[in-house]
Amino acid sequence: MMEITICGRGGQGGVTLAKIIASAYFLKGKYVQAFGVYAAERSGAPLQAYVRVDDEEITNHNQIKHPDHIVVLDRTLIVPGLDANMKPGGVIIVNTGEDKTDCQEHFSGRDIARVDATSIAVAHGLGTRTVPIVNTTMAGAVARALNLSLSDMLAALDHLNFTGSNKTCAREAFKKVQSFTVPGEIHQPVKADDADHIAHLFDDDLGGMPKIKTGTWATEKPERRHLTPPCNHVCPAGNDVRGFVDAVGNKDFDRALGILLETSPLPAVCGRVCPAPCMETCNRADFDSSVNVREIERSAAELGKRPEPVQSFRDEAIAVVGSGPAGLTTAYQLARLGYPVTMYEAGDELGGVLRTGIPAYRLPRDVLDEEIDYILGHGITVHTGSQLEREDMLRLSQDYQAVFVGTGLQNVSDLDLGGKGLLTPVQGLNFLESVRQGNERLDGKRVVVIGGGNTAMDAARSALRIGADEVRVVYRRTRSEMPAIHEEIEQALEEGIILDELVSPVRLSDSGDGPKLTCQGMVLGPPDDSGRPRPIADTSPEALFDLPCDLVILALGQSHDISILPEGAEIKEGEALLGLSGAPVFLGGDFATNEGTVSAAIGCGVRAARHIHRTLSGEDLFPVLPETVAGPEMIKFHRFPHQAREKVNTLSAEGRRRCFDEVHLGFQAGPNGAGAVSEALRCLSCGVCNQCDRCLEYCPEGILQRSDDEDGYVFDLEYCKGCGVCMTACPRGAIYMTGL
Amino acid sequence: MTRTLATGNHVAGYALALAGEANRDARGCCAGAYPITPQTEIIEYLSDFSFSRGRVVLVESEHSAMGVCIGASLAGARAFTASSSNGLAYMTENIFSAGYYRLPIVMMAVNRTLGPPWNIWVDQGDSLMMRDAAWLQFYCDSHQDLLDTTLMAFRVAEDHRVMLPVIVALDGFVTSHTQMVADLPTQEQVDEFLPNCLIPHGLKHAHPTTVGGMTMPNETEHHRFEIQQSMENAISVLEEARNEFEGIFGRRPAGALETFEIEDAETILVACNTMARTLHNVINERRARGEKIGMIRLKMFRPFPREELLKAIGNAKRVGVMDRNHSPGSGGIFWQEIAATLIGRNDVLLQDYLVGLGGGDVTPENVNAIIDDLNRRESASTPEWKDTSV
Repeated sequence: MMEITICGRGGQGGVTLAKIIASAYFLKGKYVQAFGVYAAERSGAPLQAYVRVDDEEITNHNQIKHPDHIVVLDRTLIVPGLDANMKPGGVIIVNTGEDKTDCQEHFSGRDIARVDATSIAVAHGLGTRTVPIVNTTMAGAVARALNLSLSDMLAALDHLNFTGSNKTCAREAFKKVQSFTVPGEIHQPVKADDADHIAHLFDDDLGGMPKIKTGTWATEKPERRHLTPPCNHVCPAGNDVRGFVDAVGNKDFDRALGILLETSPLPAVCGRVCPAPCMETCNRADFDSSVNVREIERSAAELGKRPEPVQSFRDEAIAVVGSGPAGLTTAYQLARLGYPVTMYEAGDELGGVLRTGIPAYRLPRDVLDEEIDYILGHGITVHTGSQLEREDMLRLSQDYQAVFVGTGLQNVSDLDLGGKGLLTPVQGLNFLESVRQGNERLDGKRVVVIGGGNTAMDAARSALRIGADEVRVVYRRTRSEMPAIHEEIEQALEEGIILDELVSPVRLSDSGDGPKLTCQGMVLGPPDDSGRPRPIADTSPEALFDLPCDLVILALGQSHDISILPEGAEIKEGEALLGLSGAPVFLGGDFATNEGTVSAAIGCGVRAARHIHRTLSGEDLFPVLPETVAGPEMIKFHRFPHQAREKVNTLSAEGRRRCFDEVHLGFQAGPNGAGAVSEALRCLSCGVCNQCDRCLEYCPEGILQRSDDEDGYVFDLEYCKGCGVCMTACPRGAIYMTGL
Repeated sequence: MTRTLATGNHVAGYALALAGEANRDARGCCAGAYPITPQTEIIEYLSDFSFSRGRVVLVESEHSAMGVCIGASLAGARAFTASSSNGLAYMTENIFSAGYYRLPIVMMAVNRTLGPPWNIWVDQGDSLMMRDAAWLQFYCDSHQDLLDTTLMAFRVAEDHRVMLPVIVALDGFVTSHTQMVADLPTQEQVDEFLPNCLIPHGLKHAHPTTVGGMTMPNETEHHRFEIQQSMENAISVLEEARNEFEGIFGRRPAGALETFEIEDAETILVACNTMARTLHNVINERRARGEKIGMIRLKMFRPFPREELLKAIGNAKRVGVMDRNHSPGSGGIFWQEIAATLIGRNDVLLQDYLVGLGGGDVTPENVNAIIDDLNRRESASTPEWKDTSV
């Protein structure tokens, strides 16, 4: 009986080669047997196949332990001892290039038949360049080495319906086989262990699955990547949203607050008033509901410990004009970098629009004061009551090494409704400031607010809180076009405010029974320059109607006052202004961009500080963020369970409509931020590894190890087959496959 | 007759297809089919086959696969299927139904270890789990034996003295995926060997009946008694079928047992499937050294061939059973049956060896170690675990 062992890798066709060899002998009238050792079928895994040939019927069914010949389909499978149990006198048939080193090193004393089957197969397009299928090519070499005729082997290929290139390759290999004998003694057979026992399951090492190096087989390898989560991508303040949410999920409120304070000095403010574009773009939004980032930020600000403020250590003094969110952020960021900062504020207190424009029921004063105190704790000098003019600006630019101007929007849009002497409309921001100072009561009055932004909503809700009997908001488009935070509109309606959509004010006049505001019904037309539908007057007669009113509040938007700048100066965020001698002057916040949100102003402040620092020191602190945003197509949603948002407490509409108590009360679940933690755990961590271990658990090779470095894991690429299971298993797109 | 080189699965598929075709002039054939490693190639082979009258019904589970076979068989079709391991476990409820309905279905059981832990290799625990399901069970040691046994299975199952389903078991991978030589019969030969399938209690449109309804204890007892009698009949029916098979195909397939060198044997090993064939060369070598040693291949497990086994054991002093299966808390399943058969035979030392469980590669070296152990013994012990990896 002749016995042959074939060593190959899954996908090379080793079992088929066994069948081809067996067929060649079968067709010559022999009894044959051909079989492979089957395991988890996987491309590239080492496997063995066997052939028995005899004149008699074959009765043995065990795997061949002492082959007469060995066929090696892949050079990387040559390992010490491969021929240890091979009988003397046989041939080792190897697919290898010109280099004989491997054979000489490991096959001492053996007869070798060598052919470069891979090159032949690749040249004729069998398989692919990276995964050539070499079985039919090797069949030619086997025929030559075992003294079969080429026609015997070609007959076997015919019998198994192999045609064309397969037969060409077999022919070529038959011709190109090189035979040689490796000098030296044949290795002694490995003596079988005499032990004849069952290894004790709990005491002895059963050996486990063998680990076999991949060699040249793999064509791809996994790599880890950090993408930009969509929340981080859209955050106007530039916060690492995913990062602080992840920290809260790990119950590390100090770290969460630390991450927020890297960019924004006002997390308690943003945790209350930010329109949270991160929540609109959250990948979870269409899955169940977005992660309640705003509320988590508030919890982080409440429960985290702020680090000790840095004190100045640099010489370059910097002036910041205006103390709204942009000015505060610029001052804070520069102070953290060690610059002595002086702030100039026209009003009596710091905070700008945070203090004057946002009512206390949305942003309690003590919350604002606490954050401003922390900012000022960085050694910032403050001059309040400093209304600066153009000449002052020139002075500042000479006294300081850099000046930041973030004075916001001081000019308000007006509207002439007539009705002189009857009723004078008030400006929304003035009204809010007056309410804040406690100078207003509107008991029993009917109020009409004109506008659709946050100021309109704040004015309307404040009017209600100081006793107004009826508050209407008139807006010329519909609710969905209103720029106000949608939640604020919702809450205003809950409190009983009436929203008149598609209504435009025309004139004030006397109804005989008091003032009335005549209004015009509108319809939506084609989009205007802002992309929103243009409101057009409804021409039907019933579209004109009257609203009786005692007070009209205008909330029509604001614009900046550039009188402090030299004439002809262009306003462009973050750029040094031309035309001023002396130090560079930087502009930011609503003054420069009119983006109108606290978070945008904070983002401006961060960037302005980085600009100023780069200008003064040459050091570039602008972060380089991954360009690719981890959109929903990167997320394997089926790996996540649906989970509703954590409940939050709010004052009831009845309980809040007549007082300035804060409406939002944070997460219900507590104490110690349990609700925030639970909500934070809903975060999908889009595009950023959060060490969920799924790759490690799913890797069929067990080649992933946890590590303490930043990546969290190491791949042992010596054993990685490039199967891509880790990439498929990663629910957040943080692993991808790349060619080797 | 054509000599071919094929895998065990293809040989089995070929035999099933021939048998199915042979019923084309009657109610045809039907297979309910669901894939599972290592039997999938059988299903694939059948699915590719164009039956003159009959079809393969692909279903969503093994349980349904047997359900299809039950329905088809009750309707008069020659029904067959194949499964393995956990697939068989899932099919179990309907396997019992088929047995107690007395439907002559033939099922190829490609033996595979039951998980967990997950394991795709051979171990007879899966088909032996069906020990009490009123199915006949045959175990095959080679491709030729597999082909012949499959054809015999239909012949015995459909005999009205038997009228019970049959499991034909083969080793996963070692037989199913190994290319070996087998002689294939022609359709005409099979047509001659297998008369049209006629199920006396099958459903007929002209005479509506119901099957499997409620019975009282005494009726149920009678039903079981009849099955026992039919099981006992199967041994002589098998002998008749062997004779007829030989007349048509020109070779005599193995019967309930196959013996090897047992004439004067003092030591006998009992094994089944390919493990038994691996004993041939070992026994030849030992015989050449003058050892009085032989082997019994247990081919039929249900009905259990007690008389034949006692006769074959004869006056042997030592009997070693090689069990590639394990009944936790007892030992090898073949061993239990043989021990029951040898009750009163205190002159025989009967020792069980659990070997090749989970697909361990049983080599001549392992077998020699077992024989050495058996011959050294002064008394039997609890089943001996023989690890094939060392």
